[in-house]
Amino acid sequence: MKHAFPKTLAVGAVTFAAALSFSVAAAAPKVGAPAPDFSVVDTAGETWTLGGLAGKKVVLEWTNHDCPYVVKHYASGNMQALQKEATDAGYVWLSVISSASGKQGHVSPAQADDLSDDRGAAPTAVLLDTSGAMGRAYDAKTTPHLYVIDPEGTLVYMGGIDDKPTTDQADIPGATNYVRLAMADLAAGNPVATPVTRPYGCSVKY
Amino acid sequence: MTTENVTARLVAERIEIAPGETLDLALVFEIRPGWHTYWRNPGDSGDPPRIDWTLPEGVEAGPLRWPRPELIPVGPLANYGYSERAVHLIALSVPADWPIGEPVRIRADVDWLVCEEHCVPESGRLDLTLATVAVTRAATGAAVGPGPIDPAQAEVFAAARAGLPQGRIEGAVLGAAGERLGLVVPAQELPETIEGVWFFAGAWGLIEHAAAQPWRKVGNVLRIDLSPGAAVEQAAPEGLLVVADARGEVHSYEVAAVRGPLAEDTARDRPIGLPLAFLFAFLGGLILNLMPCVFPILAMKALNLINGLSGQSPDAARDRAVHGVAYTAGVLLFFTGLAALLLALRAGGAAVGWGFQLQYPPFVVFMAYVFFVIGLSLSGAVTIGARLMSLGGAKTGSGTAGAFGTGALAALVAAPCTAPFMGAALGYAVTLSWPLALAIMLTLGFGLALPFLVLSLVPRLARLLPRPGAWMETLKQALAFPMFAAAAWLVWVLSVQTGSGGVALVLGGLVLLAFGLWLRERSRSLPSARRRWAVAATSASLVGALYLGLETDRLASATLSESEQSASGLASEPYSPERLATARDARRPVFVNMTAAWCITCLVNERVALSAVEVAQRFADAGVLYLKGDWTNRDPAITAYLADHGRNGVPLYVFYPPDGDPQVLPQILTEDMVLRAIGSSAPGSSGRDG
Repeated sequence: MKHAFPKTLAVGAVTFAAALSFSVAAAAPKVGAPAPDFSVVDTAGETWTLGGLAGKKVVLEWTNHDCPYVVKHYASGNMQALQKEATDAGYVWLSVISSASGKQGHVSPAQADDLSDDRGAAPTAVLLDTSGAMGRAYDAKTTPHLYVIDPEGTLVYMGGIDDKPTTDQADIPGATNYVRLAMADLAAGNPVATPVTRPYGCSVKY
Repeated sequence: MTTENVTARLVAERIEIAPGETLDLALVFEIRPGWHTYWRNPGDSGDPPRIDWTLPEGVEAGPLRWPRPELIPVGPLANYGYSERAVHLIALSVPADWPIGEPVRIRADVDWLVCEEHCVPESGRLDLTLATVAVTRAATGAAVGPGPIDPAQAEVFAAARAGLPQGRIEGAVLGAAGERLGLVVPAQELPETIEGVWFFAGAWGLIEHAAAQPWRKVGNVLRIDLSPGAAVEQAAPEGLLVVADARGEVHSYEVAAVRGPLAEDTARDRPIGLPLAFLFAFLGGLILNLMPCVFPILAMKALNLINGLSGQSPDAARDRAVHGVAYTAGVLLFFTGLAALLLALRAGGAAVGWGFQLQYPPFVVFMAYVFFVIGLSLSGAVTIGARLMSLGGAKTGSGTAGAFGTGALAALVAAPCTAPFMGAALGYAVTLSWPLALAIMLTLGFGLALPFLVLSLVPRLARLLPRPGAWMETLKQALAFPMFAAAAWLVWVLSVQTGSGGVALVLGGLVLLAFGLWLRERSRSLPSARRRWAVAATSASLVGALYLGLETDRLASATLSESEQSASGLASEPYSPERLATARDARRPVFVNMTAAWCITCLVNERVALSAVEVAQRFADAGVLYLKGDWTNRDPAITAYLADHGRNGVPLYVFYPPDGDPQVLPQILTEDMVLRAIGSSAPGSSGRDG
């Protein structure tokens, strides 16, 4: 009768050990394998999970509005055009902000919405991954860093937005946009020809 | 040219150049403190500088040359780059028909990215004009070329050259090693003694830039374990190998590996077969029941069984069975979790082994707290958890959830007591595919759970247990002392890991813990308004105790203290792969002892088998070098050594005769075994059949 408390402590010890393991247990996402699940709230306070998007094609875009590489694609209208193209084609486009509180790029829900309005951005939703859990699950390294997920939930593309890793807007017209190519391959029922590329940009501010 | 974060300049080694000559220019970035520019492969983010030349016709500039970068960790990511100053050399050549006296005007438009936490792309236009003069050769015949050399400039160039790769190593092989990558580099051109190694991949996608790179040097080969990157097949298997030698000097070499099977891996013998591994795992689990750190918990558990579940009725029998199954489930769940953790760490590239959780000082503190509180509760000093008891399910006295928790706790504390058999089984398990590895771990857990399960399932055995009575209270109080002993042992482990500072923290934590529990006890009868204050004070003490525990992590020290080493009676040297290799080359017999402060078996062996006068005498006579590897805190070199012997935990004893194959000794040593091992190979000894 007097042993219940030690036992709860014992359970606590196991939880502690499990917590230790949790922090290192994430495996890197792989193209061709199921995309990692996530559960993150958007700027309207709604929770998004990958499970809840079953049957939908999804683009994930890691972003940080202060990163010069992100600025390149928004100031030129390139990212917004790609977002419209994708959502018109039936994609769910989720912009993800993994900047931790106090780090560059961290915004309140209202600020995030203002940013979308000011820039004419057209994502389906902007997710606020302040804890970085979703970013780590996807091994998101840079802003921008893009992922394309097919209706079966399989990761089919991960990497950079295009092949010109610069901050110069003049490079956009001549660049090969990998996300657009992946969407075209998916639409044609083909495997994605270039499924993994180097993501470029600023580090995600975990 | 100065921007917000960087002062960039383009300088020539000499202000004059002769037609037909090539000389070095330097692009120098003076970088704002805390900020970085990047190497040719910037790592996980970032961008290397780019240069766009405007040169007179016929004048040519070579590519930027890259001094060795530093690893810049950024949270879970890592970049390759430069801080403070980055100097890139560029070879500039002027055609032979360039008119003498006509200056060479050079313009460079440079783009660079400079980052601290955040990044700023910057750019600048740099101009340089060189005078041209006729060739003059120094009388010594050295091709020094014309023109004076500015001493300040000469220093910049000398430093830049010192930072360039000093050579190129041929014959490296990159190959798959399970789910990881192995890079095997011939070590002939490397420093004799290596203190540190890092491989900078030349291109994105080859490796995970931030992953640990355990390495070991065996004979004439340096092997580095790498974590494969997202495009490991497509990326060129080349990069820069940076090596620190014993004097702390840093060397770097370009390495272009060929892909192929790793010779060492195909040759690595599997120490035990699959059926044997299951058997050993099962036996190891059974033996764990007898370990000093598990037995008290089992005894407490058995006490509960007698206490709450006595009686012959079918109900009591069923409760006992439920109990036994819950306990078994708790053990198995823990082992599943542990297997998942081990496999995840293996996939993530961390070098870990059995008992590794005790390498994390706050975990040791936390376990000491747990044992201390259990002890206080058993001794009756505090009565806690009357309300929480209902959570455990009051019906069976301590509850199914309680049994489940006890099972998990038994498994948790069993971990450091690597029983004989278990090390081999586990070491084998981590080399297998995950379903097999999990099966081995679960077999081990089943062995641990079996005695209690049998006790709870077979009523006849349970009936053999003594009848309940007043003796139980005495036994319960007596059982507090093994708990206190376990707590004392953990504090000692911590003293080895963190020194006296950690002991002060944990003792302070224990006092806070005792104070908090006492206050909680005393405040029970107080009116609720005053009790709120007591509850707050209790919570504050408990939080304080946890905080002190976490603080110990900062005190972790790497090695056994001197007094600790000499206590074993036998003069030892700390293990290093290099020391072993040197001694082997010199045909000196070597005895390797891999140990850790938290390993009871190791300490018993040292007292029983390795402290004897006769052993010391024989060691001295045979000129045996005694190398001791301390695994109390994490040490990749020792982890690698254990892995080489198919082990995942300590102890491990290996004797290297002057010639012939090394001999692995059993995990439970006797003086006789040690003497025989050494005797069988001592020079002049008769025969080798012993």
